[in-house]
Amino acid sequence: MSVDRRKVAVFGAAFVLRLLLIGLFPSLPDLLTGRVEVSTPVNSFKRLQEGLFLYTRNVSPYDGGVFHQAPLLLPLFALLPDVRSSPLPTAIFYFLVDLVNAHALSTISESGQSIQGKLHSAVRKHIRWDGVSVAAWFLFNPFTIATCLARSTSVFTTSGILFAVSNAVGGNNVNAMLALGFASYLSLYPALLFIPLILLCYDQRTQNPLPNVAVFVAQQGAILLASVSGLLGLSYLITGNFWEFMSATYGFHLLVPDLTPNVGLWWYFFIEMFDSFREFFLGVFWLHLASYVGGMTVRLRRQPLFIITSLLGVFAIFKPYPSISDASLFFALLPLYRHLFPLMRYTFVAISVLLYSTLLGPAFYHLWIYAGSGNANFFYAITLVWSLGLSILLADSIFAALRDEWEQAHPEAQGVEVKQV
Amino acid sequence: MTVLSLLTLPLLALALTLWSSPVLASDYHEQLFLQPLPQSSLLASFNFRGNTSQQSFEHQHFRYFPRALGQIIQHAHTRELHLRFTTGRWDAQSWGPRPWNGGKEGGTGVELWAWIDAPGDEEAFSKWVSLTQSLSGLFCASLNFVDSTRTTRPVVSFEPAGDHTAASQLHFLHGTLPGEVVCTENLTPFLKLLPCKGKAGISTLFDGHKLFDASWQSMSVDVRPVCPRKETNMIPRPVRNEDLVCDTSKPYNSEETCYPLEKTTETAWSLNEIFGRTINGVCPLAGSDGASEPTVCLRTPHERGVLAAEGAIETKKGDGFTRCYNLAPSQPFDLLIPEQPVHTQVPLDEPILHAERTIVGHGQERGGMRIIFGNPSNASAVDFIYFETLPWFLRPYIHTLRATITGRDGMRREVAASEIIKETFYRPAIDRERGTQLELALSVPAASTVTLTYDFEKAILRYTEYPPDANRGFNVAPAVIRILDPAQRAPLYLRSTSLLLPLPTPDFSMPYNVIILTSTVIALAFGTIFNIMVRRVVSLDEAAALGAQTLKGRLLGKVVALRDRFKGKGTKVE
Repeated sequence: MSVDRRKVAVFGAAFVLRLLLIGLFPSLPDLLTGRVEVSTPVNSFKRLQEGLFLYTRNVSPYDGGVFHQAPLLLPLFALLPDVRSSPLPTAIFYFLVDLVNAHALSTISESGQSIQGKLHSAVRKHIRWDGVSVAAWFLFNPFTIATCLARSTSVFTTSGILFAVSNAVGGNNVNAMLALGFASYLSLYPALLFIPLILLCYDQRTQNPLPNVAVFVAQQGAILLASVSGLLGLSYLITGNFWEFMSATYGFHLLVPDLTPNVGLWWYFFIEMFDSFREFFLGVFWLHLASYVGGMTVRLRRQPLFIITSLLGVFAIFKPYPSISDASLFFALLPLYRHLFPLMRYTFVAISVLLYSTLLGPAFYHLWIYAGSGNANFFYAITLVWSLGLSILLADSIFAALRDEWEQAHPEAQGVEVKQV
Repeated sequence: MTVLSLLTLPLLALALTLWSSPVLASDYHEQLFLQPLPQSSLLASFNFRGNTSQQSFEHQHFRYFPRALGQIIQHAHTRELHLRFTTGRWDAQSWGPRPWNGGKEGGTGVELWAWIDAPGDEEAFSKWVSLTQSLSGLFCASLNFVDSTRTTRPVVSFEPAGDHTAASQLHFLHGTLPGEVVCTENLTPFLKLLPCKGKAGISTLFDGHKLFDASWQSMSVDVRPVCPRKETNMIPRPVRNEDLVCDTSKPYNSEETCYPLEKTTETAWSLNEIFGRTINGVCPLAGSDGASEPTVCLRTPHERGVLAAEGAIETKKGDGFTRCYNLAPSQPFDLLIPEQPVHTQVPLDEPILHAERTIVGHGQERGGMRIIFGNPSNASAVDFIYFETLPWFLRPYIHTLRATITGRDGMRREVAASEIIKETFYRPAIDRERGTQLELALSVPAASTVTLTYDFEKAILRYTEYPPDANRGFNVAPAVIRILDPAQRAPLYLRSTSLLLPLPTPDFSMPYNVIILTSTVIALAFGTIFNIMVRRVVSLDEAAALGAQTLKGRLLGKVVALRDRFKGKGTKVE
């Protein structure tokens, strides 16, 4: 009972904190909506408003260069009252989505999947945070709060991914695939999580004998395809022009025509890229992003949830339009691996680099865009540092996971100095 | 007085008219209309009008119609063409309404619109491209840069001025080049289109040095088909008595009298002083059809003394302000207006609408557009159509469109945009394909000022898409306002000034550096992660044992052994 009371307290405090922030600083949501670190062309709330405006006036929002988000968001937001006259209902809707995400996260944590899987059992089981602490870590992360207040639509993708994982660890693979379908429908890249999620679902199967792997994958793939095509069918009913919205949403994700600055590595690279090599490097970048799926799936097969966590870290660094909401999702799943923290070697460096770039990023952006005393290289350099910091953290956590696996196999070698050969 | 203090404001207007009736013969007229304006300014309006019958046009039998232009028009299946070259800004506050109701001017830079006969949209566009390419060569202007991103198809803002047969499938296209600098090289091809080529007639006054010193200058070419009907007189109608602007502040003001605003003397000027040369007779081809229209008209009070060159015949019009001169052939003509006190002023009309458009906000990330419409009339509302094209890298957020009304009392109040905007036609931009097209049907209530604002975001471009002078900013084409006044037969046009939009710029000097640095970060991440994943974890003791078996380990072992042997020998010797 006491755990429930703690959970209520954490969730209530997170809700009140958000409410207080918009109550004390009414201009904060609009300010955050305009920040390039939070809002990218594919999740900006302002662009959603523009699309909604055109949609409610029967103009196709996809026949233009502004709106690139999934069509089903339009009728959803058309139900909410106008943001300009009454911002509170929309804000509260976003707060609730955040709380629901936190609940999914605490479910994942309480399943203990990160510590004790079917093929793996962590050595330091006693070092762990319970579900409420993990949820609190997510809810009080400034990145999460900023994303929530900026009303970025990537919180729905976050929900899709977290629900897919929480259903998968609960053994409910149909719901997991449906949720993954929803997330993929919203922003395409979660489709890359299909293979690790299949592994996670497969490891939860307890019936004897185990289902055939090929049949199982085909079944789950069919569910995912059915959910995506169902959503696309609904979108077609809404927009009436299939290829127009497909090219304006997924084509936009794939071809990266909008080079608005963000925290990722793509924008400045493709601004400065020579025209004849643009397509080639687009292919290389996407291939690079997808290459991690295969490598991690093979090497970390025994810890499917850790594959998902690491892949979310990879996406936060290397996806075409990353924002701090992607980083916040990675940071949300990382505390599930609290038992790996003692094994990590560069936590201080990684955290310092991330803090450094978090503080200097907005400052350098201001110098470039507003003060005119710096140029684009200032902000570009900070995005490089940010990506470097995240990749140090990611690589370090993968190292810790591998060392944990090794210690499990060699219980006598706990705590000795190790080396990789 | 000197020339310096007198600003010349020449307006050049060439109206070439095609007659579709085969009965009427070709003719050509030219006329110079001069009007001194307040603040020592002079409006000089040069009008050239050539007519040709439809039949001889189709058979390429050109007499007064310039052959170069005619062939371009025929090749591009253009039924009606309007081309404008404009520089400077018309100050409506001091100079009154625009000449010819704004119908003979364009936005800053070059503006082109045409009705093209084509079976479909794509064919029309390909003909439009060939039209712009040819006109670009003919007028030495960058019209070939009017591509799909700068071409729009406004729905309600423009109407054909000529008579078109219902059978033809007309497509309307409109393009602007706000950054084009209009200069002498555009004037020379224009002169070549005239039958007398600047050798005789009023076009002898064209001196590039003088003309382009003007505060405002507009050059227009209009080609339109007309059915034979009574030609409307090109001379502006006099101002009716009830429209005269009187100084009503005087206590002795009454309805019978009209007291003009006081001014002691008016400055002296002459054509020679302003244009640097005199008119070299009349163009012998003008008025060849027998109708002799006066060549030079001057709008100044009749009481003002004007000295004209010998041989010219002066006729004073009944309106009390206009006098016209029929020039003697092949004799230089000059007008001399001495300095003298004047008691009457040519009244200037109040413009129907004031319009102003500016970019607000700071920073290179986003901004706002503010458009101010002022209705000076106390009685009636003004209905008009506001049309603007925006380049694709300016992304407007139409949902942020707001309207405020300021009355004469200075009170601002925000109103729903739908209260002011009757109709909206909006076509959003697509990146690198087409620009935004926005047409609004608005109504501004009497004696009030309406301010429209909306937010926009500035896109950042690929570095090859920036011009060499990227930090100068990008030109945004002027907005066109078409006033719907039922009293006026011809439409009234108004244009805002063009805008300069600064965009965020990348560092142009380091494409290689960026490619290298980004690739390094990616390689670091990829290398570290895959390095960790493909290697085995071993303890340090095991690592040492394993290390001894590798080639490097064995080599190291040999070196150590060798060193030990040397050391061992040394101890023996001691």
